[in-house]
Amino acid sequence: MIKAILSIILFYFLTLIQVSFMPHLAIYGIVFNLVLFVIVIWNILESSDKYFGLYQAIIAGFFLDIFSSHFIGYNIIILLLIAFLLKFFLKRYVRIPLTKD
Amino acid sequence: MNSSIFKNKFLIILLIIILGFFLLNVFQKQVRGFFYSFSNPIQEQLWRAGDSTSGFFNSFGNSTAQIEKLSSENQKLLQETALLNELEQENKELRKALDLELNKDFSLEMAKIIGKDISQDFIYINKGLLQGLSENMTVITGEKVLVGKIVEIYDNSSKVMLLSNKEMSFDIKIQKDNNIYGSIRGNGNFTLTLDLIEEQIFENDIVITSSIGNIFPEALLVGKVREINKNEVFYQARVAPFFNISQAENIFIIK
Repeated sequence: MIKAILSIILFYFLTLIQVSFMPHLAIYGIVFNLVLFVIVIWNILESSDKYFGLYQAIIAGFFLDIFSSHFIGYNIIILLLIAFLLKFFLKRYVRIPLTKD
Repeated sequence: MNSSIFKNKFLIILLIIILGFFLLNVFQKQVRGFFYSFSNPIQEQLWRAGDSTSGFFNSFGNSTAQIEKLSSENQKLLQETALLNELEQENKELRKALDLELNKDFSLEMAKIIGKDISQDFIYINKGLLQGLSENMTVITGEKVLVGKIVEIYDNSSKVMLLSNKEMSFDIKIQKDNNIYGSIRGNGNFTLTLDLIEEQIFENDIVITSSIGNIFPEALLVGKVREINKNEVFYQARVAPFFNISQAENIFIIK
């Protein structure tokens, strides 16, 4: 529960940084997606039989949806799909010490 | 038996999730408004911090501040030229028809940018319904450069569709001896395309708004013509907008 609350706080602030701070650091109009980066890194580093990374993708996607123009659910689906695919491929095809328990 | 209970549970949870999303989207304005109401002050601070940070990095590039200043002065001069041409044109028309109505001065509300949409050309500003703003109001910079129009409004914030948004299309003119009229559309990512121009245009021609389509007021600066292409009949060109998100500190809403 505490983990979930901490995740909500973390992704709320990361999203605010994404929409209000990161546009200033755009390179040729491309803005680095901090939220996506954290989701990808978390899901790579997390053991493939744990699923907290998927919940995090939902939380992060929800906040990105709130601060973007798409319908609510758009970024949740995208991030969830990315997290799920990462887990799937890491579990199936990749054997690195980080993903082993 | 067990598997059917499990299936039913799964279906119920799935239905609750779908219903939840449906309700969130039905009441999305209220949901977003709730989050924006307490996020505004944090976003203002972050935007300012981002501005300072980018300024710090830019200061490594020699005389960037000077370039920004000159660019701002240049925009002011361009606006003055546009205005003078406009006045000259108006003067001519006034002589022709004495019943012409003079342009009224704009009533402006100042606001600050507090965020940018992650994937599309929208920005968020720190003024909304409570400050007397409403949807479809025009947003400009201090140099009368067109920024866009308000498309969604909340109590203390608004969403502005930038002129370069893919859904944006409006009438423009290029000031010549005989004004050239046409339409421009956004391509996203701060780019614009000028289309269906019958007369010859040149690089660096200044594009300003025309009030023909009643979308924006007359003579606001839009951008400069770049990369012209011509098919059998029409000219098409890429337009570099004057609006630069990193240089716009304060923006103004025409009420």
